[in-house]
Amino acid sequence: MTAPRARSARQSFAVIIAGLAALLVAAMLVSATVGYRLYGLDQLYQAIFAFDGSEAATVLVNLRLPRAILAPMVGAGLGVAGVLVQTLSRNRIASPDTLGLNAGASLAVVLASATLGITSLTGLSLVAALGALLTSMLVFAIAAGAGGISPIRIVLIGVTIAGLGQSVVQLILTSNEAQMQNLLFWLAGSFVDRPMALAINGLPFIAAGGAIAFALVRPLDALQADDATAVSLGVPVSLVRIGCFLAISLLSGAAVAMAGPVSFVGLVVPHAARRLAGLRHGPLMLAAALIGAIYTTLADVLARFVIYPVEAPVGAVTAVVGGLVLVLLLRGRAA
Amino acid sequence: MTANPAPSITIDGLTLAYPGKTVLDTVTLAIPRGKITVLAGPNGCGKSTLLRAIRRLHRPAAGRVLLEDIDVADLSEKALARHIGLLAQNPSAPEDMTVEELVRLGRYPHQTMLQRWDAQDTRALEAAMAGTGVASLRDRPLGSLSGGQVQRVWIAMVLAQETEIVCLDEPVNHLDLAHQLDCLDLVRQLNAEFGRTIVLVLHDLNLAARYADQLVFMRDGGVAACGTPDALMTQDLIARVFNVDAMIITDPAYGRPLCLPLRTC
Repeated sequence: MTAPRARSARQSFAVIIAGLAALLVAAMLVSATVGYRLYGLDQLYQAIFAFDGSEAATVLVNLRLPRAILAPMVGAGLGVAGVLVQTLSRNRIASPDTLGLNAGASLAVVLASATLGITSLTGLSLVAALGALLTSMLVFAIAAGAGGISPIRIVLIGVTIAGLGQSVVQLILTSNEAQMQNLLFWLAGSFVDRPMALAINGLPFIAAGGAIAFALVRPLDALQADDATAVSLGVPVSLVRIGCFLAISLLSGAAVAMAGPVSFVGLVVPHAARRLAGLRHGPLMLAAALIGAIYTTLADVLARFVIYPVEAPVGAVTAVVGGLVLVLLLRGRAA
Repeated sequence: MTANPAPSITIDGLTLAYPGKTVLDTVTLAIPRGKITVLAGPNGCGKSTLLRAIRRLHRPAAGRVLLEDIDVADLSEKALARHIGLLAQNPSAPEDMTVEELVRLGRYPHQTMLQRWDAQDTRALEAAMAGTGVASLRDRPLGSLSGGQVQRVWIAMVLAQETEIVCLDEPVNHLDLAHQLDCLDLVRQLNAEFGRTIVLVLHDLNLAARYADQLVFMRDGGVAACGTPDALMTQDLIARVFNVDAMIITDPAYGRPLCLPLRTC
């Protein structure tokens, strides 16, 4: 008797997903062609499939295309990671930032730059990924160390580690101002001048994190209820939390390596995705991946114009836009 | 343990201890099949702990819980969850979760990575929502429901789990009088119509006497008495277990024993 209803719900969700996918493709095309210089789609096509070494083709292939591909990867990863963090912590205002991963990555980058003199983008992204990974291991070890991984402990420890990392970063930055100037832009997150190799290197990590996340879809649904209920439904709660943590580390670590710390995506996107897809993690994470990708890609386009002709850091754009969107979403919910 | 085995639980010398405190002390008890068993007793007597130990939420220091003749310690998480359902005390779920999304969770132990949602799951989901009268609320977020409605939805979730045994930990806490009766009538209906074996922790002695087939009085981590409400609701036992001087009368409407507490003793 409910089969028609279920089918229509599934159909309308399929339409939403198709719409988001189309929007993503459009956003990526805009990102590749619109900026300080405007290019046509025909030029883009030519640059990819019939590269002629012209200036336009060089800019498109070497500068525009990488960011049109990196931004959605980062956004999708952060969107899914955001859903995972919020479910793991049972806290709708948690995000990968809350677990201290971005702070850890920033700290690693600043330290590596100050002590080892690493300045190359590839070097920094590797250091950032390591920093995020180490931080997640640290948070996990402390959270799991004393009396089980409780959602509230995860948040408390994450916030503490994040605060600690941030203050050390500030300390090093202010004490070493001249040398650290070039890091400031990295610290706000950006897709400028990223080589395509970053996307290729990041892809397996995003894919692995995504695969783990989607394998955990059903236990995550059940973990939205309290622990006693989840356990009595047969959910291996600790195992799921470990898997969840691993997926978050892979996704956020890859994201911070590719773009630097991009804030607010992991916080806002899950809220928007829940509006469209409901609370079941399969549809929810699919929607979050797409919305995150679109959001980050468009934020990257916007970053080229807000303080034109200079580029703004994309992290600043995602934060400002995300903050406004979040306020709107929360207002809508209350009304 | 497949096609409708005869379920009943045997608790055999169960001891459960936290460092420095014994919560359950060699409890031995049989839960009869197809009946409603109510665990009652003063605060801290171990009744909720016993219920949770039956569902293996606590690991015993000694003793066993037998499902038929299988030690529950030997069952996998999901296998156990297909036999025993538990409605926890004060369960929680996100306020914006819909009724249907919550009731669906009851199907979790019946699915595997490969075998996803199927027609049997849909049937169980619909039967659970219809049986508890929440089908018309299916798209409503939990936050928009009354306390009594929310409790019905949780019961629907446990019902969708299709377990022979259903444990409920103080399901009428925080409900007003009408919703308490409503909720316990629903539990009795699960027992009568769906043939579920029910184990219930209840605080209110008179509700316990009214709904129990088997009543269990617990005190200080042990079973103080076990039997029919008529056998257990005596002035002497109630004084001994609850430290209350009470007058026991027969309620004129249902013919069940009714406890009129007079003073502590």
